[in-house]
Amino acid sequence: MREEAIRVWAFALRNLLMASRNIFFLFELTFWPMVGVLSIGLMTRFLRLSPDEASFVLIGTMALSTVQVCQLDVSYAVLYDVWSKSMKHQFLAPIAVRHLTVGSWLVGMARGLVVFTLLAALAWWAFGFNPLATGPGRLALFLLGCFLTAWIVGVLVCALVMLFGTRAEASAWAAVNLVLVLAGIYYPISVLPGPVAGIAQAIPLTYFLDMFRSHFGFASEFATPLAWGFGLSAAYIGFSHWALGAAINRTRRTGLLLRMSE
Amino acid sequence: MLAIEAHDLEKTFRSGCLRRRETRALRGVSLSIPRGAIFGVLGPNGAGKTTLLSILATLLLPDRGRATILGHDLRQEPGAIRRRLNMASGNASFLWSLRVEEILAFYGRLYGLSGRALQSRVDELVAVCELTTHRRVQYNELSTGLKQRLALAKSLVNRPELLFLDEPTLGLDPAVSVRVRAQIAALRHDRGTTIVLTTHYMREAEELCDEIAFIKGGRILALGTADDLKRRIRVGDVIALRVDAAGAATLAAHPGVLRSVTEDGWVELTVDSAEKRLGELLQRLHESGAVVRDVQIREPQLEDVFVELAR
Ligand SMILES: Nc1ncnc2c1ncn2[C@@H]1O[C@H](COP(=O)(O)OP(=O)(O)O)[C@@H](O)[C@H]1O
Ligand SMILES: [Mg+2]
Repeated sequence: MREEAIRVWAFALRNLLMASRNIFFLFELTFWPMVGVLSIGLMTRFLRLSPDEASFVLIGTMALSTVQVCQLDVSYAVLYDVWSKSMKHQFLAPIAVRHLTVGSWLVGMARGLVVFTLLAALAWWAFGFNPLATGPGRLALFLLGCFLTAWIVGVLVCALVMLFGTRAEASAWAAVNLVLVLAGIYYPISVLPGPVAGIAQAIPLTYFLDMFRSHFGFASEFATPLAWGFGLSAAYIGFSHWALGAAINRTRRTGLLLRMSE
Repeated sequence: MLAIEAHDLEKTFRSGCLRRRETRALRGVSLSIPRGAIFGVLGPNGAGKTTLLSILATLLLPDRGRATILGHDLRQEPGAIRRRLNMASGNASFLWSLRVEEILAFYGRLYGLSGRALQSRVDELVAVCELTTHRRVQYNELSTGLKQRLALAKSLVNRPELLFLDEPTLGLDPAVSVRVRAQIAALRHDRGTTIVLTTHYMREAEELCDEIAFIKGGRILALGTADDLKRRIRVGDVIALRVDAAGAATLAAHPGVLRSVTEDGWVELTVDSAEKRLGELLQRLHESGAVVRDVQIREPQLEDVFVELAR
């Protein structure tokens, strides 16, 4: 148990140190998220949206940044090693996939929380939108939903990188955008065409967005969004970890693990 | 007690379009390495040395064959094996903006070390590998020699019983190489660590290794101590003569002379047996009226064995 915690902490600390040393990562943490909230907020003014409609859209853009920042940290757990060609050293050690993903997810959640707080302050100051209006409990559940989605996407990106090497690197930045488009970033998923709406219902974040927005005056599209959100998350967490484990085993068979380290 | 027992290991890499290009990196390698031994793996580039070490270190799965490492089955219990072994390679690389001590601590934690035990292990490794003045330097600011020493330090972080060193002195200056070799010898002497190393420096292999496997094209061509190999792979003896060029010309045709090289006023003759041929050759030179100013008989070097086998 103690050794489990130490291994998780090893990956968490590594992500923290890398984040603190690379100015580019600070940029990622602040610049794009703030640009997103400002531009979307200003657009809601231009279109003369009602305060409720504006909050609907702002929740979407804040969720995008929060999920993305958290997910990137999870993906970095593998990408740092790809970029530095040091992959084989960590898989030579007696570690399991969970140490790597949990450790980096913990840092991702911390960074996600920082970004969300920053964006909430900005949205409140510039556009009068207060995400705390629904009470801390609901906000916490919503953020947890964002972080769970980020974890799943992050681990799946890691699996893709282990399968396809640097060719899959772009998925680290692209995947979240696709997920949010499907999960109803600026619209209820009922506006999506039939089969696409079906895919949307398979994404946990859809339910967490729905739940949170229902407290800002938009009737929920689902009977029990939280049960669906957490249930789907649990299933995907299991699946994504299995996929990453299988991808790593495959690299040991094909020799990609060695080629990524030279 | 054996540290490694491998039977018939085979590995083929598939690459290229539709994975159609095949490289048969290992074609049936069997080995037994006793605990506490230093075992050398020699061979030309692309012989399969790194592939062999990677399989034994659980980084690569063999297509066929089986191996027992420190008493554990390679396929069934990789986790138990990983706790007890480690590996360093000459071309190792680490996260660019982490400091030396942070890199060692990161890998230390992966082996379950923490708190004061971790701290003292890092201090010890930094001292042993002469990294004290660089412990707060970021990885991308280290010189090649320092990177190599860090890789060696990292490979000792779990006090491995079995250590794989893939070209540990690659690109190091001679002074540093000597210290690294001394350190490798000390590891076995002080802790009984079993060490499997690959190298392109024959002196290194001769100085360190109890036993040497020479591999080429994924097969073991010869196995034994350095002296065994020199004796068995009869590359012949070398008789070197300081003699003028005119006299030398006739020697190459003498019976028993396998090869003749003229360099810096010396004629180096590789002969089947120095004992038998020296008298005949001197006699022949004497008859032709050539002046012999110096004669040396040289022991065959491991390098000669290498060149012979790699042909
Ligand atoms: N990860 C890999 N993927 C594909 N081919 C590889 C890989 N590793 C080695 N090879 C090929 O296998 C052969 C043996 O390589 P290697 O074991 O690295 O040789 P050595 O270490 O003796 O120089 C070479 O032809 C090399 O190109
Ligand atoms: Mg090699």
